[in-house]
Amino acid sequence: MKSTYNSHVKRIILGIIVVAICGYGAKRVLTPATFGKYGHYRADAIEEEAGLDIRHYTNTSCFSCHAWEAQTHLEGKHQSISCEFCHGAYADHVREDKKFAALPVKRDQEIVTLCMRCHNSAITARPHDVIKTVVLPGHLEEQKVKPTHTCNQCHHQHAPLKYINRAKAMVGIKEAS
Amino acid sequence: MDRPHLKPDFAVNPCFSKDRRRFIRKVLDGTIAGSLLLVIPAGAELPVIPEQIKGLRDKAYDIQKQQFAFIVDITRCIGCGSCCVADKREYNVPDGNYRTWVERYLKDYEDNVYVDSPNGGLDGYQEPRDDLDVKIRDTFFVPKLCNMCQEPSCVQVCPVGATFKTPDGFVLVDHKRCVGCAYCIQACPYSVRFLHPESKTADKCTWCYHRVRRGLLPACVDVCPTGARKFGDLNDAESEVAQILKGPGVLTVLKKEMGNWPALYYKGLRREVV
Repeated sequence: MKSTYNSHVKRIILGIIVVAICGYGAKRVLTPATFGKYGHYRADAIEEEAGLDIRHYTNTSCFSCHAWEAQTHLEGKHQSISCEFCHGAYADHVREDKKFAALPVKRDQEIVTLCMRCHNSAITARPHDVIKTVVLPGHLEEQKVKPTHTCNQCHHQHAPLKYINRAKAMVGIKEAS
Repeated sequence: MDRPHLKPDFAVNPCFSKDRRRFIRKVLDGTIAGSLLLVIPAGAELPVIPEQIKGLRDKAYDIQKQQFAFIVDITRCIGCGSCCVADKREYNVPDGNYRTWVERYLKDYEDNVYVDSPNGGLDGYQEPRDDLDVKIRDTFFVPKLCNMCQEPSCVQVCPVGATFKTPDGFVLVDHKRCVGCAYCIQACPYSVRFLHPESKTADKCTWCYHRVRRGLLPACVDVCPTGARKFGDLNDAESEVAQILKGPGVLTVLKKEMGNWPALYYKGLRREVV
């Protein structure tokens, strides 16, 4: 190109146009498709988060197979407790409507530890109108049972007063609860 | 008035016998199809889950119109840690990181406050605090989780637009964009964020967004045995949270002076809680 009196202006303008086109192209390529739909973020990320698999289902899901447990659980004081808290997540047990793995069962001292998560009088932060608490081993001594007894030997884990009330009805004990 | 076309004139209708055949065939088809439907689930994603947040599954989800609230009633929290366990399982949260946790507060007669949270409350509270030689005036549990601020400082500091507030009020993390710089972790006044050791991106409580969108309660709310955690749709005037927010009970938020305007409300909260 032969240099004229305004060629430097042309070069600058041409340079600006080239940079602008490259910049625009790079922005189009590098910005994710839905970026900026709702704000300064990728709107698809919302759907990705919403599409995560759920791992905890509900008690109703468990009861759809475990009808016997459902019957006991729903009549007792423990009906507000989630199955999955004690037993484990639904997704670790059922896949595609079929059982593929067994959930661990708590035994012996594990049961006492589990019960005492909620029912331990030593933890004074618990509101007394919400939960009934006991002292161990005081409760066992009071009830005149062996100190090695686990909670579920008297209290059914799903309906804690089921056998207690039945025994009371049999023997005819009346006491203030 | 005589309307011959309405009369069921079987005798003169030549198509009658064919109709009956067709009818029987249809009934049979229907029965077979119906029984097959019972055997083969028709691709239903959530076979046996009842809708816990009413009215979310009936219609298409309008992200601009939804509004939710989370209320923690600490006068009902017994510190069992069910919420922490469920939360860890729902997301396979690595050990040492907590999306939600439960703190134990103790207050003596000189207004000193002692807070502890052994393993975030994951193992429950089995032991009383015996390291304190003071007389305790008041003691209670405080569950903590993401406050879903209306003015989130974590969003403000994110340099790459990886954390954001959705139109329906959730503060979420885009794990594909996050570079793991951890500015948001420092910016959060409530310390709910952590750097996920595997993905190396920021992670935090999402109020179980994936469950809410399916009409389910967040995992921690679902497992809470005493109803200390409550979640609901504010568009539904009958929902428990809408009733509480409408009512006269005193609701507070954490660190109001930070100006983050949390959407997480606490009921029965003492002023010492931060």
